[in-house]
Amino acid sequence: MASDQTYLSVKSMSKRFGGLQALNDCTFSIDSGKIICLVGPNGAGKTTIFNAITGFLKLDQGSVFFRGNGLTGIGPQKIVRAGIARTFQNLRLFGDLTALENVASAVPNQFGEEPLGALFRPIHTARSQRKTRETARGILEEVGLADQAEAFVRNLSYGEQKLLCIARVLATGAELLLLDEPTSGLSGDALEKVMVLLRRLRDEGRSQLVVEHNTRVVQQIADEVLFLHQGHLMAQGTPEAIMADPKLAEIYFGGAL
Amino acid sequence: MDYLFSYLILASIFVILGLSTNLLVGVVGIFSVSQAAIFGVGAYTVGYALSNDIMGFVPALALAAVVCLVLNVLITLPSLRVSGDYFVVTSFGIQLLATAAFTNWDAITGGASGMAGIPTADLFGLPIDTSLKTLILTACVACLACFAFRLVMRSPFGRLLMALREDELAVAAAGRQVLRAKVEAAALAGVFAGVAGGLYAVYLSFIDPSTFDLDASVLLLTMVVLGGARTLAGSIVGPFVVVALPQLLSLIDLPTAIAASARQGIYGVLLVAFMLFRPQGLMGRKI
Repeated sequence: MASDQTYLSVKSMSKRFGGLQALNDCTFSIDSGKIICLVGPNGAGKTTIFNAITGFLKLDQGSVFFRGNGLTGIGPQKIVRAGIARTFQNLRLFGDLTALENVASAVPNQFGEEPLGALFRPIHTARSQRKTRETARGILEEVGLADQAEAFVRNLSYGEQKLLCIARVLATGAELLLLDEPTSGLSGDALEKVMVLLRRLRDEGRSQLVVEHNTRVVQQIADEVLFLHQGHLMAQGTPEAIMADPKLAEIYFGGAL
Repeated sequence: MDYLFSYLILASIFVILGLSTNLLVGVVGIFSVSQAAIFGVGAYTVGYALSNDIMGFVPALALAAVVCLVLNVLITLPSLRVSGDYFVVTSFGIQLLATAAFTNWDAITGGASGMAGIPTADLFGLPIDTSLKTLILTACVACLACFAFRLVMRSPFGRLLMALREDELAVAAAGRQVLRAKVEAAALAGVFAGVAGGLYAVYLSFIDPSTFDLDASVLLLTMVVLGGARTLAGSIVGPFVVVALPQLLSLIDLPTAIAASARQGIYGVLLVAFMLFRPQGLMGRKI
């Protein structure tokens, strides 16, 4: 593997929604094995970047490269298979399914996920199903939700639902996780749990790009920070350096234009 | 006795049809009000093939299944672009279109007066010419359909369809192809409806457009809602209850002039009442 090959690089991404320039010639690249926090005031384009990288949004201009391969114009399914998966700010869990089924629904390569296999090779399907459930159970254990495996999503606490989102994205097997505000709405133990989990996942080799608003969380988990403003990358650096920059602090807290 | 047979045969045919509707509307959440049209296409296909001596019953039933598979996929495709409420309107249009075709394509369907004298079924030379034999045939097919439904719902495919109803974006984010899953569900529902239609045609030996109109589609939805969407037991109980209703109503001495409209009224009341007081249906799990 070439050492000069960038892990993920985003080149001059632009996207306009009607009168709003959500992304404006946004360019950055990140290395693997790190937690990179994406910060910036509301409307800076953080979620739009996620949507663009994961194929949910067609860019007006620009391109995305992952391990040197172009991802531009590829659908979400193929991007997951390429190794990038995401969570959603508003969770988007499957409320009528159990925690285990939510995780199982993201495990790749299941036999019987189409009608012919399910109908005509039921035994093989059942075997594959068992294996999937084992995998899913292991992931639930990893995030600390093993005892809630058979609970329906709507019966889980908000903190548990946030953890379940991480479990589901882990189940895809993707190596780069795009986490959209994994700690928002959490406090105390629940917040601590997520932070510990994210650091552990990083140490296990899962790279993460995380949208995060809480500066305390950023300081605790980020290896690097990308500061976004009006759809453009303003700064990239260590959390300490970014936090210490008075100009950025003014944008972030002062709401300067 | 014949009366009981007739009830059981019709109910088992509607079980197959109920499963089809349940799969599409209940499980995947594609709110189609045109499933009676697909049922009709199945019935006319078998009716035409047998009346004109083009092929035997089994190949005709297979043909009906294939035709309905393709057709159901085609009419479900708009649901990929227009979602939820808007698809109901599209589907409503398709149902009206189908009724118009059944009524006016005289050469094939016999027009408004219907298609009469459809020969009875035969299984590889064994004629299905009595009520008992017909009942055995339809009950076997219904059991097979129930078994298939159960296999599907317990498989990863079933879970994928349930997930699809709840959140298509999240399904895509999990690395699944939304389009493909919807097409497969529609295909399966089409096969069920086509087979049900074929059985209906050979059992009654007479079919006409009124059996496959919008009222029939609503009746199907009533069965699914009343029985319990998304459940196998519901797809069995719903049709058995709803098919029995007209007979039960006939016990009440209603003037014939208002009997038909009273029946429609009661279906409507049932639908509303279940939506309000027991949305999970008779057999549905409490959610």
